[in-house]
Amino acid sequence: MTTSETKNPSDSVENKFLSVNIADIMSKDVITVTEDDSVEDVIELFEKHHFHTYPVLSADGELVGVIDQNIILEVLMFDRISRTKHTHMAAIRSLGEDAKSIMISHPVTITSDIGLCDAADLMLKHHINRACVIDDGKLVGIVSKRDVINEVYRTRGLG
Amino acid sequence: MDTLLLILLIVFLAKVFGEAFERAGFPSILGEISAGVVIGILFIEPDSEVLSFFAELGAIFLLFTAGYREVHIAQLRSASMEALIPTIMQMFFAFGFGLMLGLVFNLGLLQSIFMGVAFSPTSIGVVVKTLIDFDYLSSRPGTMMLTSAIFDDIIGIFLLSIVATMATYNQVPSGMQMFVIAAKLVAYMLIMVFLGLKVFPRLFTHVQKMHVKESIFAFVVIIALFSAYLAELFGLHAVIGAFIGGVLLSDIPLAKIRDVQSKVSGLAYGIFVPIFFAFIGMSVELEFVRTAGIFAVLVVVLALLGKLIGGFIGTRLIGFDYHDSLVFGLGMMPRAGVELVVLSVGRSMGIIGDEVFSAIVLMVVVSIVVSPILLKIAIMSKGDIGHHVD
Repeated sequence: MTTSETKNPSDSVENKFLSVNIADIMSKDVITVTEDDSVEDVIELFEKHHFHTYPVLSADGELVGVIDQNIILEVLMFDRISRTKHTHMAAIRSLGEDAKSIMISHPVTITSDIGLCDAADLMLKHHINRACVIDDGKLVGIVSKRDVINEVYRTRGLG
Repeated sequence: MDTLLLILLIVFLAKVFGEAFERAGFPSILGEISAGVVIGILFIEPDSEVLSFFAELGAIFLLFTAGYREVHIAQLRSASMEALIPTIMQMFFAFGFGLMLGLVFNLGLLQSIFMGVAFSPTSIGVVVKTLIDFDYLSSRPGTMMLTSAIFDDIIGIFLLSIVATMATYNQVPSGMQMFVIAAKLVAYMLIMVFLGLKVFPRLFTHVQKMHVKESIFAFVVIIALFSAYLAELFGLHAVIGAFIGGVLLSDIPLAKIRDVQSKVSGLAYGIFVPIFFAFIGMSVELEFVRTAGIFAVLVVVLALLGKLIGGFIGTRLIGFDYHDSLVFGLGMMPRAGVELVVLSVGRSMGIIGDEVFSAIVLMVVVSIVVSPILLKIAIMSKGDIGHHVD
């Protein structure tokens, strides 16, 4: 690939990265569950959709947790997994009847004004595949590694 | 023996023996203790300073991960108050039996109280597999066991903190000394809760941005060690601080990233905890266990009976039928990790002697082997296996 432009193309890409916030790339149409939804309903969601993680909201609409594929697999396969994984917490979770009782109650969250580079840095450094985006305690979206990769790809392509 | 070779040998044998026991249907902790016993017989006395330091780190990380991974404050709040009666009863009876046994054998009041504390914890994980196999996890006694175990560790560690602090006075403390102990405990808790609610969450948002490698993991370990050290400064034992530090980190999202949890677990269960269990095995006086006679037998029998009788009466009081109460009591009998930490604290502080130490390790081993078997027999005696779901 050749270019006759006088400006440095990498500078241009760098500037574009800096101007992109999470709000620009996150998925805004998020399928959520409420804390009282039954475990069966949650499992059905995993069957119906291809998402890895579902945010759990309280009655007031606040994010209180997440349920991901690992949790569901652990709940479904609890009586088959190795006894070393039969911890007290896992046993309680396997008996859970609603979303609240099986969710991870400490999800990693970021705000929508965080830049693309900071989000990518967080994901790479700490092996986080996706994070809930909250503004003022309310869930406004989810951003995944795929969203970041797609944006970088788009930006480089345009640059 | 060269320290490197010693550590290598301990971790290797602990894992190999642990695997052998797992495959034979027993928890790996038995293999790790056995590895220590074998090393003790064949090679060395457990007097290496490096080894005992590693074992101490094992105890610290065992309780830290118990708080960090297995306790949820929200869960404690929502746990049914109904479970309090059986929990208090089974702990009360176990404690009472331990205390009485110590007094009958003239062990002195402090050592007798410690025996009571050492009889108190339960490790529910040992019987979870049996409950699953017989479709009993979701039964009334099964769920009650899980709820009761939520309180169990916390009450056990609270009792340990009192008796360990009492031991620093080398006697049962006076009223004024008790007041000082309580004040220190409260002051430590206030500082830790303040740090846990106000400082640690902010700290991790900054740590997350650091450029150095493994910053979050390092700070989780730093907080484990800090909580343990601060507890010692306040006259509490390090392991108690580690547990509290773990509980305070258990709801901080950045400290609980799956990747970080996995690394903390690797450090604990990959290295330090197996060394701790093996160290327990190495410290057992086999000669004593062989010749102990009536005292060791009574330690085993009363520690198990205390849980069984207390659990049985406690659940009968809240309306369980005879069979369900029996199942609950049997399910409360096993002891494992926390019990051994309590024991090692007692030994390192000079509260208990080698005889009591060895007898209680024997009790832990027996409880791990017999509890699932007795539970199985009790469940089968009802004759409706596979259909019992309340």
